[in-house]
Amino acid sequence: MALLIKIAWRNIWRNPSRSLTIILAVVVGLFAGIYASSISFGFVDQRFENSIERFISHIQLHNPDFVHDGEGFQLVANPGEKINWLDTSSAVKTFSVRTRVNGIVATAGVTNGAMIVGIDPAQEKATTRFDEWLKEGSYFEGVKRNPILIGSELAEKMHAGINSRIVLTFMDLEGNITSASFKVAGIFKTIDKPFDESNVFVLRSDLVKYLAVPEAVHEIAVLLKDPAQVKAVGDAMKLRWPETSARTWYEISPELQYLQEMTGQMLLVFIFIILLGLGFGILNTMLMSVFERTREIGMLMAIGMNKRRVFGLVLLETIFLSFTGAIGGMVTGVTLVKLSASKGIDFASVAGDSLADYGYGSLVYPSVSTGFVLGITAMVFVIAVLAAIYPALKALGLVPAEAVRKE
Amino acid sequence: MPIISTQGLTKIYNERIVPVTALNNVSLDFDAGEFTAIIGPSGSGKTTLLNMLGGLDKPTSGNITINGLEITGMKENRLMDYRLRNIGFVFQSYNLIPVLTAIENVSFIMLLQKQPRNVIEKRAIELLEQVGLSDRIHSRPGELSGGQQQRVAVARALASKPNYVLADEPTANLDTKSAFTLLDIMEKLNHEEKITLIFSTHDQRVIERARRVITLVDGTVTTDIPVEKQQV
Repeated sequence: MALLIKIAWRNIWRNPSRSLTIILAVVVGLFAGIYASSISFGFVDQRFENSIERFISHIQLHNPDFVHDGEGFQLVANPGEKINWLDTSSAVKTFSVRTRVNGIVATAGVTNGAMIVGIDPAQEKATTRFDEWLKEGSYFEGVKRNPILIGSELAEKMHAGINSRIVLTFMDLEGNITSASFKVAGIFKTIDKPFDESNVFVLRSDLVKYLAVPEAVHEIAVLLKDPAQVKAVGDAMKLRWPETSARTWYEISPELQYLQEMTGQMLLVFIFIILLGLGFGILNTMLMSVFERTREIGMLMAIGMNKRRVFGLVLLETIFLSFTGAIGGMVTGVTLVKLSASKGIDFASVAGDSLADYGYGSLVYPSVSTGFVLGITAMVFVIAVLAAIYPALKALGLVPAEAVRKE
Repeated sequence: MPIISTQGLTKIYNERIVPVTALNNVSLDFDAGEFTAIIGPSGSGKTTLLNMLGGLDKPTSGNITINGLEITGMKENRLMDYRLRNIGFVFQSYNLIPVLTAIENVSFIMLLQKQPRNVIEKRAIELLEQVGLSDRIHSRPGELSGGQQQRVAVARALASKPNYVLADEPTANLDTKSAFTLLDIMEKLNHEEKITLIFSTHDQRVIERARRVITLVDGTVTTDIPVEKQQV
């Protein structure tokens, strides 16, 4: 076997320019595939992180009816008990208690529908780092009475700026129409334009005053210390509070999990297609190599090298050729991914703000997992074996008596 | 008892289209230690006969018995293994593995036979010494002259300790000096180690050294006489 390996390795360097050409093609193909995939993974990671850590959190508690209807009177039962438990649970990193009502936002001459979300600034900051989205003004500071945060899209639409007066109109929990005046303390800009256009944030303590139910809680968003514990903690909450809907992030946004799984699989298919194309190049190279060595292969068969070994020799040469390129491509690809992952790639210059329309930020941190690289390695092996079959069969089909006399 | 025996060996190519009879009812016996030259004009069937004797081609009819074992009906894989262990080949174009050194080329066949490593290296060096290439054991074929390459091929053919060596026009590509050197070596091996040699050749230099000359014309043996008788 050792000599077979030695012969195979030396054979691929018998025609260095031809071998280097196909190796370089594999390097470039894999490098491009890995780097393009890493950018896609970066977008998915960003989407995942933003969705889970900046918006949804790991688990959300609601009144089960609120999940379907979203009516203001559908409150979380016994919120005090739940808050006490969350405060003391070792699995919980932090949580944010929210009160939500649908309402109308109005400035002089402009009105717009919006979700009014009442939050505790400190809790929300700890749970979703919402303060980091602020573009102008302050995080509920500088305005003494009824401060409000509005999205940049909505601010533009309503011609509102810092310290502008905004009137919120909504139905209290007894069904009465209530209006209150708020003053813009800050303007936020997330990576999700539709969100910025349809959500405003006020102090929960202010909102509950107008709802006629001082302890009105519609939502508790929970962030865990260990994301891997989501299912276990979610199940524990469901058991503990059967009257409450405890939904994990993948129940709230199953498309996120699907996106994560599908992206990996689709990118592997993408790489497989690249490799398949390269496979034909490898096949061609090996076929030429076998044809050029007809006499030599005939001699090997004549002196007693059996078909299994002849097949093994062609297979080894193909694997060496493929893996030399594959290793080059993977090393350069992964290295560049690591280098650009530290600073990220800013697509703002080419995509402008359009990525935000789809919930993506313009700054992407390319990433590639070990599993993905191992998947590529397995595919290179499969392609190499497939590319070796035809040339190997050609070699096995040689008649030694004729082959040894071939000019 | 002959080491090789053929009975009614016939080979017809393109049997169904335009039949060409390459060998016609050839029956021959070869004893151990013989140095035989098979001669004849181009297309007379020399190479076909050699291919049959080497198990590289199958006859249309007739059979070949080697050391009492009939090889004609053997399956391809078994035949390959049989060749590996019993027959040495020397080809006109040397046919060495260009990426291996002389010693690696000679060792290769022993590695295929799965002989112990220490035995392989020792025998490879001995054989290369016998063919006068002890100073070129680490040279690759591209670094050797034609004559030197053919001597490596002879060492390789002997490495497996074959029952007999088949050489297809081994001197055809060699200059006079190299051809004589090669023939000296092979004659010595034949005399001293009783290695059975069967050559197909046009080369008068080979014919002069052979102790039996078989003439083939149109696939038929026309003469089969010891050299002494022929010379007489």
